[in-house]
Amino acid sequence: MRIVIAEDSAVVRAGLTEILADRGHQVAAAVGNAEDLLAAVDEHRPDVTVVDVRMPPGFTDEGLRAAITIRRDHPEVGVLVFSQYIETRYSADLLGAAPGGAAGVGYLLKDRVADVGEFIEALTRVAAGGTALDPEVVTQLLGASRRADGLTTLTAREREVLTLMAEGRSNGAIAARLVVSERAVEKHVANIFSKLGLAPSDADHRRVLAVLRYLGS
Amino acid sequence: MSSIPASSARAQRPLLERLLIRPREYRHPHAWLAFRMIAGAWNVILGILLLAYKFYWIAWIPLAGAALIFWIAYYVQQHAADRVRELERSRDQVVDDEAARLRRIERDLHDGPQAQMVAVAMKLGLAREKLTGAVTGAAPADVARALELVEAAHRGAKEAITELRELARGIHPSVLDQGLGTALTTLAARSSVPVELVTDLPERPSAATETIAYFCAAELLTNVAKHSGARRATLTVANGAGRLRIRVGDDGGGGARVEAPGGLAGLAERVRTVDGSLQVSSPLGGPTVVTVELPSRV
Repeated sequence: MRIVIAEDSAVVRAGLTEILADRGHQVAAAVGNAEDLLAAVDEHRPDVTVVDVRMPPGFTDEGLRAAITIRRDHPEVGVLVFSQYIETRYSADLLGAAPGGAAGVGYLLKDRVADVGEFIEALTRVAAGGTALDPEVVTQLLGASRRADGLTTLTAREREVLTLMAEGRSNGAIAARLVVSERAVEKHVANIFSKLGLAPSDADHRRVLAVLRYLGS
Repeated sequence: MSSIPASSARAQRPLLERLLIRPREYRHPHAWLAFRMIAGAWNVILGILLLAYKFYWIAWIPLAGAALIFWIAYYVQQHAADRVRELERSRDQVVDDEAARLRRIERDLHDGPQAQMVAVAMKLGLAREKLTGAVTGAAPADVARALELVEAAHRGAKEAITELRELARGIHPSVLDQGLGTALTTLAARSSVPVELVTDLPERPSAATETIAYFCAAELLTNVAKHSGARRATLTVANGAGRLRIRVGDDGGGGARVEAPGGLAGLAERVRTVDGSLQVSSPLGGPTVVTVELPSRV
């Protein structure tokens, strides 16, 4: 995988480069601000970029703006956005930014890098055109959703599957996570979709969108 | 809000203002106004009566008295209003300062210790993978690399601890709880320019005053170290007659000025918000003396 990193803290930048290089990925460029990021993406056309939301000069949402620009101008480049805090508004902006919808987008808490395996898995998923949403985002969305009545019709197991689906995981990954068979997961997913009145979706990222749209409505 | 004049010849507010605008004006403004209006009216009536009874040579006394009373009432109204405006402006300044301070703390935490700990977690995560591989035999043993990572993580963690300690001290130095004298001793010892410390603190000022005084002294000593080129500095602190005086002198090049957006101007402004004052004597070629005065009870 070819990766471009955009992170203003030199310490974290070095750490990320180290993890990725250790797994045999190629870090094409590691930059410290949004302008350099856009230039680097234009030049290197990586498979995925890792972008910090807050960067110079204003330290508000420069990284997010750049990520949305990349989604628009280079839809084949996956974008994984990192943040110190989860802002559900940002996830809405990101997902709505490109014609593909949730394809090739991730939004994670910086804390997640502590678990190297999970981080690399999320990155790979995003590079392949899938979705990776932080469990924190999903929890907030579930909590804030006005569709609580619909959600209460789900069994506990179905809620677990819904949460993992909303994070962007594939059926296989969900099965591994819950230690059940993939067949069981497929049945749960079908039940969820029919209980919530959603049209079934085959593509992982499309069903993330369906779930999020449902939760936000 | 002390109306007791400062012991030194230099006073912040004009004498007349200090005599006439006393705390009782704020506490019972309507009562005093009513009192003055009635007293003035009473004198006017008396004066008119005296004039009516042709006691011209004493009629002027109550009339002059009425004029004086009405004038005082007007003066108090005007200046009380001015003072309220000044305090509102001050208060807004303090609120802005607080907000700015909190933003700075958040940024310092984010850029310093938080970033360090993220890096530490990453390195330890990687090391854990390598060691898990070695332990379970799933991957070739790369213990050397794991050790490298652990050492780097250890260094990062120590760095984070130092940064956190400095930040905490910038928020509130715990040594201040022992008293201003002790806190300033530590401050003087840490200065890169040798500092001679003289304290005269027969009584402890209020905690708020001690905190402000500490940070003033810290900023002034930093200025000495960074800008003055001095070889020696003096720090004297004295508490008496309701005022705490902090004086920082150095034998450096002088030329320090209180003008925005400089640090001294900011310090002066902050000191003014608690009714304090800042004076600078800094001719070109030195020496420089900066004196800050604060009320002992803020």
